[in-house]
Amino acid sequence: MGRYVIRRLLQFVPTVLGAMFVLHYLTSVAIQFTGNPVRAIFGDRTPPQSVLENLTRRLGLGDPCLEQPFNPCFSLFGKRLDAIFLHLDFGTDFNERAVTDIVAGALPHTARLTLIAILFELVVGIIVGVLAGLRNGGFWDYLVKVSTVLLIAVPVLVLGLLVRDFVNVKFGNVLRGVDGMPELISRGFFAPTWSSNHPWASLLMPGLVLGALSLATVARLTRASLLENVRADYVRTARAKGLASNRVVGVHTLRNSLIPVVTFLGTDLGALMGGAVVTEGIFSVPGIGRQVFAAIFTGETTVVIGIVTMLVLVYLIASLAVDMLYAVLDPRIRYD
Amino acid sequence: MRARFPVKLAAAAAATALLATASACASDGGGGEEPEGTTGGTLRVFLSEPDSLMPSGANDSESNQVITEIYRGLTKNVIEGGVENIIAESIESEDNITWNIQLKEGFTFTNGEPVDADSFIRAWNYAAYGPNAQDGAGFFERIVGFGEMQADPPEAEELSGVTKVDDYSFTVELSAPFVGFPQTVAYQSFLPLAEACLADVDACNEMPISNGPYMLASAWEHDVQVALVKNPDYIGEDTVFADEIIMRIFESSDAAYAAFQGDELDVIDQIPAERLAEAEAQFADGLFQTANNSLTYLGIPFYDERFEDVRIRQAFSLAIDRQAIIDAALGGTQRAASGWVSPLFEGQRDAACTTCEYDPERAAALLEEAGGWEGELTLTANAGADHETWMQALGDQLNQNLGIEYTLDVGQQFAEYLATLENQDAVGPFRLGWGPDYALMETYLTHLYATDQSSNYGFYSNPQFDDLVAQGDSAPTEQEAIALYQQAEDILNEDMVTIPLWWGTQSVLYNPDVVAELNFNPIDYEDYGLTTMAAGG
Repeated sequence: MGRYVIRRLLQFVPTVLGAMFVLHYLTSVAIQFTGNPVRAIFGDRTPPQSVLENLTRRLGLGDPCLEQPFNPCFSLFGKRLDAIFLHLDFGTDFNERAVTDIVAGALPHTARLTLIAILFELVVGIIVGVLAGLRNGGFWDYLVKVSTVLLIAVPVLVLGLLVRDFVNVKFGNVLRGVDGMPELISRGFFAPTWSSNHPWASLLMPGLVLGALSLATVARLTRASLLENVRADYVRTARAKGLASNRVVGVHTLRNSLIPVVTFLGTDLGALMGGAVVTEGIFSVPGIGRQVFAAIFTGETTVVIGIVTMLVLVYLIASLAVDMLYAVLDPRIRYD
Repeated sequence: MRARFPVKLAAAAAATALLATASACASDGGGGEEPEGTTGGTLRVFLSEPDSLMPSGANDSESNQVITEIYRGLTKNVIEGGVENIIAESIESEDNITWNIQLKEGFTFTNGEPVDADSFIRAWNYAAYGPNAQDGAGFFERIVGFGEMQADPPEAEELSGVTKVDDYSFTVELSAPFVGFPQTVAYQSFLPLAEACLADVDACNEMPISNGPYMLASAWEHDVQVALVKNPDYIGEDTVFADEIIMRIFESSDAAYAAFQGDELDVIDQIPAERLAEAEAQFADGLFQTANNSLTYLGIPFYDERFEDVRIRQAFSLAIDRQAIIDAALGGTQRAASGWVSPLFEGQRDAACTTCEYDPERAAALLEEAGGWEGELTLTANAGADHETWMQALGDQLNQNLGIEYTLDVGQQFAEYLATLENQDAVGPFRLGWGPDYALMETYLTHLYATDQSSNYGFYSNPQFDDLVAQGDSAPTEQEAIALYQQAEDILNEDMVTIPLWWGTQSVLYNPDVVAELNFNPIDYEDYGLTTMAAGG
């Protein structure tokens, strides 16, 4: 087990370096073709040449290779690696705010949002999946199948806007008009957008929206996998030797049925963290997705490289964790 | 419950109503009219993430909205246009070159340091010093010694044109006469800084040591909010109203609009275009609209000989039905331009441009006189800013009225686009915009049209224009200067130097239960400190 983990960790190194180079190259080519992004800070007003040059240098974009199309800028990449790995300096955005500060400020929000989404999809998804799987062809099964299809069919953008404008704004306004309604409910759970006065409560709705799509997938995976396993020999044996139904389903069948769900959750964790851009935008959550999105628009290469590299790491760690969980869930799997 | 310069979104006729209201305000506003409303309470307003809270570190309007409340400088922009002295007792000059600045005593920074001559001099030296790479450094261009500060490597660490006389007075020497110096120093780059602030700039950016009527209640919470409270030690005479101003930071105006609807915001000054109609219907009591100062224009590449004949340029301008484009492609809120200076500025004249009205017959006749147009025309704009639709409408009008075939080039990102213009590579008329820096009409003239100026993207050059602007700059009074600037604008009209298209609109939604009267000046736009509160709000 230990050796396996070490081998996997070593594999992280080329993956991360490779990802960083791809990011470095793409952002450099973008600058080579679309011009110095620092110029855009000044808008229609042309600054004195010296002001522009000083700022460009200060922001680390003064390397002449950034003016030569397709030049891979190896020396700039070397400098970046040197700063990041030897000095833990991820650079700054155009406002000279350190990328590490930006991540430290944004990550807690995204982590909370992701946590709420994962808990929601895990708990609700598995419960309704089990309900549907056990009552195959019954009312619950159809209800779950139809409602999950609906969730999958509605894009998160539409769902998010609907929830915000109708639930949080319109219904929330009704609640806010009721005397004696606790603020936690009227301005927390039903806050129109994320509110710093209720940093957890006002993440509930965004979290539910973010988790909704994956919830549908989790429910359907659980249901399908459970249906397959209830007919398996070992389940029949368990029932035959007189185990209580709860134990048969809860311990034996469900545990084996969760392997595809865990695989999905592992990749989903990365997708939720990086893919929360839309949800964070709709509900104005000051998270990672919003930072990357803004940085891409303004051409803040250091921010893009820093945050995306971090997301790559999250993906890698999540997939490692999933592989480890297999061994826990399925006794036949061993890592030696 | 009214806002100054109120313009209801009624009709195109609002354009003329605006001017009438604005001038009415200008006359009674100066007469010491007591603002309606009360003080106290909390005002929650919309903000996007500011670039910086160091005055010289930012050029964006978001930073300016915060800095305007927490700092006070020599002068300040006011509703009526122009500036009033705040910390300056007087700013005087005999020759418009050497300016003597006398300061009022008693102002302090939030850490107790005095606001004195040194506080201005150190701030200006910091801003203009090349290696500090301040966004706002360019505003010191007119002061003697700027070049040495910006050289690489720098040849000086202090502006040689700024000299301390005593603790509360100093002199500034400009490299050329400029009558608008008192207006210029209202810009945020010219604000004073405490010694402790420059000792740790990063800390001062997060928790500014400021000298204005408000101060930060706690450090800047990035992407979340900037919370302001009244500064108890502020001694200025300009009264501010709300006890607290919470500037909540949103990524998009769309989310902010939802927050406004859900009573989490009291004022929002960016209404998403697609929600404007809804906002008009739902919040008619709290909608404030006015033409603003952002000019959209079509630049002419003077290095392209096809545009050499002024009649060609006039024909183009006459063939464009600005109002039709505004109504059809821009949501109807902009105001068609009929000159080169904003309608909110003193010295602006409604008919400064004699070939800006829509007259297709005259356009066609002028084009014919000039020998017609051969070949294809390319209209360019930068990508990613929704310029495609109206550029196409404009092209269609040229095609319909002048029979010119056109193509659109809207593929370049902004930085690349500007580089193309700077390298004289534009192949046809190009879209650009402009906003004012200070409250003098000259802010619309020199930078854009004087020979070899940085934002003169058409590379227009007319010694007569340069001369008139220079004469204006040296005029003994502002009124005389404005008369000369107007003559300079007439030259622009004769030469049809660019094709002015329209002025933008500022739409602000506010909750009338909280806000009594919004304060809006032509340079900083909303000033939330001077905004009065509704009783019980």
